[in-house]
Amino acid sequence: MRPTSSPTIATAIATAIAMLVIAPTFAWAQHEGHEGMTSDSVTRATRWHLMAQAIPVVTHARNTAEGADLTEGYLSQAAAMAGGDLLSGHLRLQGTLNAEGLTMERGELSTGAFGEGYVDRRHPHTYLHEMVATGLGAAGPLAYSISAGRGFAAFGTDDPMMRPFEKYPINHHLSQILERAMITGAIRFGPAIVDASTFGGDEPTSPGSAPLMRRLGDSWSVRATALPLPGVELQGSYARVASPEQRAGFGLDQRKRNVSARLISADGGRYLLAEWARTVDRDHGRNEDVFAYESALAEGSATVRGVSLALRLEQTERPEEERLADPFRVPRPASDLGISGVTRWRTATVALMMPSPISGPIPGYPFIEVERTSPRARDARSVFDAQSFYRTGSPWMVTAGLRLRFGPLHARMGRYGVAVPDGPPIRALGIPGGDSSSHHHH
Amino acid sequence: MTIPSSSRFSQLRHPLHRIAGGLGALLVLALGAACGSDDTSTEPIVTANCPAASGASSGNAMTVLGCGNFKPTRTTGEIFVRGSTAYTTTWGNPSAAASVFYIWDVAGNTPTLVDSVKVDNATTLGDIAVSDDGAYLVVATERTPGAIVIYSLSNPRQPQLVSRFSNAETNAGVHTAEIGRVNGKLYGFLSIDPLGATQAKLVIVDLSNPASPQQVFSQTIGSPYVHDTFVRDGILFLALWNAGVAIWDIGGGGKGGTPAAPVEMGRVQTANGEVHNIWWFKDPSSGSAKYAFIGEEGPGNIGVSALGDIHVVDVSNMAAPREVAFYTVPGAGTHNFSMDEPNGILYAAYYNGGVRALDVRGDLGSCPDAQKSTPRNQTLPLCDLSKMGRELKVGLKDRAEPVYIWGVQFLNGSVYASDMLNGIWKLRAVSR
Repeated sequence: MRPTSSPTIATAIATAIAMLVIAPTFAWAQHEGHEGMTSDSVTRATRWHLMAQAIPVVTHARNTAEGADLTEGYLSQAAAMAGGDLLSGHLRLQGTLNAEGLTMERGELSTGAFGEGYVDRRHPHTYLHEMVATGLGAAGPLAYSISAGRGFAAFGTDDPMMRPFEKYPINHHLSQILERAMITGAIRFGPAIVDASTFGGDEPTSPGSAPLMRRLGDSWSVRATALPLPGVELQGSYARVASPEQRAGFGLDQRKRNVSARLISADGGRYLLAEWARTVDRDHGRNEDVFAYESALAEGSATVRGVSLALRLEQTERPEEERLADPFRVPRPASDLGISGVTRWRTATVALMMPSPISGPIPGYPFIEVERTSPRARDARSVFDAQSFYRTGSPWMVTAGLRLRFGPLHARMGRYGVAVPDGPPIRALGIPGGDSSSHHHH
Repeated sequence: MTIPSSSRFSQLRHPLHRIAGGLGALLVLALGAACGSDDTSTEPIVTANCPAASGASSGNAMTVLGCGNFKPTRTTGEIFVRGSTAYTTTWGNPSAAASVFYIWDVAGNTPTLVDSVKVDNATTLGDIAVSDDGAYLVVATERTPGAIVIYSLSNPRQPQLVSRFSNAETNAGVHTAEIGRVNGKLYGFLSIDPLGATQAKLVIVDLSNPASPQQVFSQTIGSPYVHDTFVRDGILFLALWNAGVAIWDIGGGGKGGTPAAPVEMGRVQTANGEVHNIWWFKDPSSGSAKYAFIGEEGPGNIGVSALGDIHVVDVSNMAAPREVAFYTVPGAGTHNFSMDEPNGILYAAYYNGGVRALDVRGDLGSCPDAQKSTPRNQTLPLCDLSKMGRELKVGLKDRAEPVYIWGVQFLNGSVYASDMLNGIWKLRAVSR
């Protein structure tokens, strides 16, 4: 069992304190951020908002990579989100800075996770996680927007940062396309929303990496969302991503699909999400599909008197690659286009979160999560044998932490402009009881 | 950097008798192995039946003489055979376990494990080769710190560590290391992995003093990498993935090139790129040196699937090489080559497609339209070696269990194959 890394925790805590101390010094009006814009909201007065969060967390992973039992602690999801409207609401600026490159450079222990060269760890997000400018307008009942900057492409479901679990689902890179240079247009007509993006397919290679601007436009996505009833959302999206894993552009392309249904109660106290995703790797040189990965996920949460219980069930297929001397890393760039198998992960995660014992501008919501996984080779012929590698058929993790936050909780993450549906944030992420600053569009 | 020879190597273990027929009894013995370190941890031996014939063999199946008496739990990589000794490497080793290459007695039909050698600071040994005089064994290591490890083969069954060459240029990982003699001097041609923002490169090392290798050349090359090389008669062929094949004069091309200052003679783009490996064929019976065979490595799922064709390039004019033919196996992909040049037979390791023996003597670039096909995603039809009846035999596709053949070597009437899933095979070479 590896001891927790004291220097990393000290740095992380110092960073979090700095972010949370600095934030209140800005005399900005608080605003429940990132709600959808309806046609009459374009006349709203200029308003700005700021939210900063950090999650000191300790994870014990049993039988993670190479069968190791590890206990690690760090500051996860250390981020500051700010935004506001100008020009009578016709221009919106929003940004998210993320400090995980400092607080968890080696990635967050998360058995089953993969993406951006990390495996069995979640990669740290880029320092500049989002920086988007959005122009908004309306023509009668039709609302429209165009956004540009670095952020999410119009695809899939919300970023897990705004969902009820600290540990991201394994399907993060199957269901979201993030941290890209992008241009996104959106239109909304009543309960129907369509947004589409053109973007650069290249994934970040490090927390400090910037998108390759010459690749802007080599990828695209489109998403359709229906809002048949208040709190009900149906979504389907499709994306073609050029060589996401190989920055120079020679890697396999991806063709991605995602459909989902989301329900949330008017107060955010009850939440359900079900999604299906499929990513197909395609060799563009040979014009041939080569690998495919599917995911199905269902999650939900209920909050009663500040106590939240959440459950996530997931089955996701993960490509396996040759690992480096650090068993939590794979080569980037890779030296060929092969994989060493596909592992089908089945996970069950339960989370319990309590009300904040801290009063004041920076509440902290203690939580505990337990996740049990079951990895199996999708094809028995594969050279990667999950049970041998993890020394068990059922790795599991337990995570405990404290959600610290300054400012109002954001309801959504992964949409811009008129593509953001109205609705409350998920209470399981922690909302002070009787918060009069919350307001919901209907 | 030179490391002096150090501690003793592993102890010989008695090979276990393989249980024939359908019985699948497993016996586990410990095998001591130590090389260049004081590590005396034992290597597990698991004996099991080779995957037996499925009973559904076609008439053109190569005869399997035997498989190794030891089935590694590690994933097998490359193979090199000299005389009655074969060396097989391993791929994707766990970080704490170091890497290993195995030493086999292949005099009989059943390759018999003699010894194993641990190589520290490596997760994969992607290439292994013996110098033309049999004096030295060179092993390539990945990932960081990438190196070539050089052993003396004064006793071929007990390699003695001579040196380990690693520098800033090789640090990203040595993916392949071909060795060859140019104007009497031994060189290593190292294909170096990309790493982060550092691009792939070719490094050429003077091995005339194996105790102190000296880098003589380095160049970033390939799109996105240089995957392998082939050296012969002072001509160097480079497999540059999507940048195709480059042909360099390093002392035999009449352009004034040397290993320290190569001169490019020509380039060719083969269909679908992904150029992985090369064999330049010199037919001793005719003197023809017209064709180079290019392996394309498409995406593959190890153990399950592979893609990639063999491309035939006419290099009679090295300034303007051109692709004239190809060979494809639906659902499988090629990897490495060996040749029985006196008989004009190319043996191709074909991953999940086993071993393919092709008749490559004579004119490969002229054929009637009925014998042409168009490579996938291309528009220009080329001579199709399958339609031309050039496929002689297929090896290891008659087994009851999957195979995934990484490397092959023809030697003295036999063909040796390294199988990522099963270890080592010995087959009877194809005769005309």
